[in-house]
Formats: sequence, C-alpha cells, structure tokens
Amino acid sequence: MNLNSPWLRGATVAASLALGAVIWEVTGRYTSDAFWAPLSATLSSLREVAVNGVLLRQAMSSFQLYIAGLALAVVVGAPFGMLLARVRWLRVALEDYVLMLYSTPMVALIPFLLSMMGFGFAPKVLVVFLFAVFPVLYNTIEGARSIKPELIEVAQSFRSGEWQLWRDVMIPYTLSFTMTGVRQAIARGLVGMVAAEFFLSPSGLGQMIMMGSQNFDTAGMLAAILLIVLLGVGLMDLGRALEKRFAVWRGYNP
Amino acid sequence: MKAPNTPPRIRIAAAGKRYQQHQIFENVDLTVGEREVVAIIGPSGCGKTTLLRCIDGLIPLTQGEILIEGSPMLAPRAGVAMVFQHFGLFPWKTVHDNVAYGLKLSGISKAEINERVPHFVKLVGLSGFEKYYPYQISGGMQQRCGLARALATEPRVLLMDEPFGAVDAQTREILQFELLRIWEDTPTTMVFVTHSIEEAVLMGDRIVVLKGRPSSVHEVVEVDLPRPRDRATLLLPHFAELREHVWGTLMADARQAEFDVIKNN
Ligand SMILES: Nc1ncnc2c1ncn2[C@@H]1O[C@H](COP(=O)(O)OP(=O)(O)OP(=O)(O)O)[C@@H](O)[C@H]1O
Ligand SMILES: [Mg+2]
Repeated sequence: MNLNSPWLRGATVAASLALGAVIWEVTGRYTSDAFWAPLSATLSSLREVAVNGVLLRQAMSSFQLYIAGLALAVVVGAPFGMLLARVRWLRVALEDYVLMLYSTPMVALIPFLLSMMGFGFAPKVLVVFLFAVFPVLYNTIEGARSIKPELIEVAQSFRSGEWQLWRDVMIPYTLSFTMTGVRQAIARGLVGMVAAEFFLSPSGLGQMIMMGSQNFDTAGMLAAILLIVLLGVGLMDLGRALEKRFAVWRGYNP
Repeated sequence: MKAPNTPPRIRIAAAGKRYQQHQIFENVDLTVGEREVVAIIGPSGCGKTTLLRCIDGLIPLTQGEILIEGSPMLAPRAGVAMVFQHFGLFPWKTVHDNVAYGLKLSGISKAEINERVPHFVKLVGLSGFEKYYPYQISGGMQQRCGLARALATEPRVLLMDEPFGAVDAQTREILQFELLRIWEDTPTTMVFVTHSIEEAVLMGDRIVVLKGRPSSVHEVVEVDLPRPRDRATLLLPHFAELREHVWGTLMADARQAEFDVIKNN
C-alpha cells in the first residue's frame, strides 16, 4: 500500500480511529459500568458538563495552572540556561544539580512540596514549573554550549561587543535548542498539572477524573480523561510546530 | 604614487607568537602596500592562520608589533575584514542577513543596509539566493557569501585564510578568477593564506614562504606578472618559472625532512 499518498494516509488514519471508536463502544456495552463506559455514554456525559458550565470552569482552572507553570518554566529556564552556558564557573557549580533534577521523576517531590507549602495555588504552579523547567534548562545549556567557537571568533572579527554577541549569535542560535526543551516541557507540564490536581488540593480536570472515579461515574471520568488526551495531542502538535519554526535554519523537519 | 610620509597599509615588525612553551613563529617582518596582494604559503601547522589572526587583532602577539595604517592592531578594527577558511557563516541567518552582519554591527541604518547588501550579493554572483540559509547552498556559494560579508564592510585590508581551500577544484578556479575581477574593480590590500602554489602565483604580487620550527619568513618571491590577470596568465612561460621556483623552495625542506627520517631510522 502506498502511504505516500495523502489521501490514502488520511483514509487509513480515519479507519483506524473509527475502528477504535467501535471497539470502545462495543466493549463498553458488554462490561461493568463500574470501570468502563461506552463511547456514546462518555460523549453524552461530556455534553452534559459542557452545557451546565462545569467543564468550562474546571478546564479554565486547569489551564490557568498549566500556563502559569509553563510560562514560568520558559521564562526562568531559557535565560538561566544561557547564563549557565556562558559563565563557566556557574555551570561547573550547578550542572550536576540540573542533570540530577532533569532525570528525577518529579512526582517524588510532591509530598515534600505539600508539607512545605500546603494546598494553595502557588504550590501547584510550582509542581507544573518543576515538571517543565528542567527540559528547557537542560536543552538550553546543551544548545548554547554546542555553538562553534569559530562563530564567536567571526563575531569578534566583525567587532561585536558582548551584548551584540548575545543578540546576534548566542540567543538566535540557542533558541532553536531551547524550543526542543519547550516541546518536552509542554508534555511534561501537562503531567505536572494532572499530578498537582490529584495530589495537592483537587481542582480542574484532575478533580473531574477523581470525582468520576469516586462516584462510580465512569462515563464522567472517561470524559475528563478523553479531554486531557485531546488536549495533550493538540499541545504536542503546537510544540512540534514551535520547534520547527525555530529550527528552519538547521534544515530540521521533525 | 603615495605621499612619502604615509605609513604602509600593513607593517609587521619582528613579530612572534608563542603559546606556553611553544613558539609558533618568530622574527616575521613584512610590509604590505596599498594595492598589494600578498600570498602566504607554507607547510601545514607552520602558523599561517595564527599570523592572520594576529594581523586581524583577534589574538595578541608575544613579540614585535603589527601596525595597520600606522597604529598597532590590538583588537579587530573597522576597515580590516577577514574571510574564514571554514566560511564562518551564521547558519541561522539567510544569505542576505549574513552579508548584512558586518554592516549591522557598524551601526548603519536598516534602510542603508538593505540598499547596500544586494550590490555585494550580486558582486559575488549570489543574486536570487538572498533568502536561502547556508545549509541550502553549496560550499562554493557559502564561500562567496563569506566573501560578500567581508567585502560589504568595504575594507581597506582584506585577510583571507585559505579562502578556497574547502571547495572543489573547478569551483576554486572559478572563484579565483572572480576574486581577481573584483580586485581589479576595487583594488585593496589583500593578504591571503593558501596551500596552492598556483593560486599564490596567480593572485599574488609577492609570495611569502613561511618555514621552519618555529617558522619565520624563509623567502619572499616577487611575482612580476602583468595585471589584469586571467586564464591566459596561467599559460605564460614566466608563470611556470615562478611556480617551479616556489615549488622548489617549499619542497627542498620537505625532501630534506624525508631524508632525515630515513637517516634516523
Ligand atoms: N590556541 C592555541 N593554543 C596552543 N597552540 C595553538 C593554538 N592555536 C594554534 N596552535 C598551534 O599553533 C600551530 C600553528 O597553527 P596554525 O593553525 O596557525 O597553522 P597553519 O599554518 O594555519 O596550518 P594549516 O595550514 O594546517 O591551516 C599549530 O601547531 C597549532 O597546534
Ligand atoms: Mg590554517
């Protein structure tokens, strides 16, 4: 089968999705409502919360948390990463911490944050931030460090000052690597968001999942999960588009 | 004719460079006039790139001094531009933005940059490729772009480190003749490093042979071939004589070194 034809590709994807929907529907009808509900029930539950306004309220709550944490991660991670890459002693001193935290599953820190900071909005933002910041930081450092010394010499030969070196060389070069980190952060931040809503004070879409589960409202729970999945897919696409946008010059096409 | 008290474009006096315990070159003396083209040739590792960096003011000498238009080169300066062996293009900038780079740094207005850049892009034959990124164009085109970036600053001294060393033989030949044409239009002071004896004879007014460890100026060959030079120059009997002469100078040591190795075994 020739999958290079866009039409055939589209048809294959559509068929696969349709089959998945059918399996969901059929298995939902022949299993206990306690742990699995058919697609149709899920969708009608979704419609219900959409109409009565619960969905919008909870989604907005989640979204605020997510955006605040993610934005903080980018705003802190990118400049700090460039600074670490350019100031040698700072890098030597802090690099191991960055690497350690980059590879730590952040969920492990949640109980600690809970006892430290309690249940407010701030600790939740901190959780999303911690999930998201290390990929940004790590990729920025690695990117900024990979700049060829020859190019810095070219800049010097053309009499670039330090601030112009940042403007014309360091930042534009590093940004494309930072964006790889941002793409990872977009995905990780979503995990952080749900984790924060589960383990700190319940709120947002995370709360909807928990409540569905506790009240044996399987359709309601699946509706919230489905929403998060769709959100994740959309955000991943956004992340990839962002990354691509900043890496045109590398001939990079993920 | 230049006024008697104008300092030479470039004056290198008793110049030496040492890295830690390692003396790279020493006692280099060289004076380059206003419309002169000097080729520097010598075995790999003898310090040609290092010398060029010193002339550009990128790194300091450890002995002697280098004066450009009478004042010592302590840091890169306006009016002196360098073409790099590795092209040194910024991969995230388009051809246009790369060529504009030096102008942007010298604080020229955007409008004027946009007016000037196309001229230099055209000069090196890159018209139509302004929006391309370096990875989208061939090595020869990348080197043209590097040349245009240097020329755009309208330098009075153009330094080139093996400008055609990384392109294939045909492209190299084409670029050599184009550079000769560009130089005829606006003759400036040019110092270039090369490994090609033919290129040195074709382009240079003088050829400086660097040799030894630490290296120093072993010989300066005057190239008294008529200008403008073009493909026909390659066929002149005198061209062949000069080429053989430089070849002999460079090879004498290489062969001696080979004999030494055999004797020592
Ligand atoms: N920053 C540095 N620190 C120590 N040694 C250096 C440094 N830069 C260059 N050298 C040494 O100086 C010597 C001359 O290097 P240079 O690059 O100038 O040679 P070159 O004549 O340009 O060689 P090639 O023809 O291969 O380009 C080499 O032995 C090199 O190892
Ligand atoms: Mg060299």
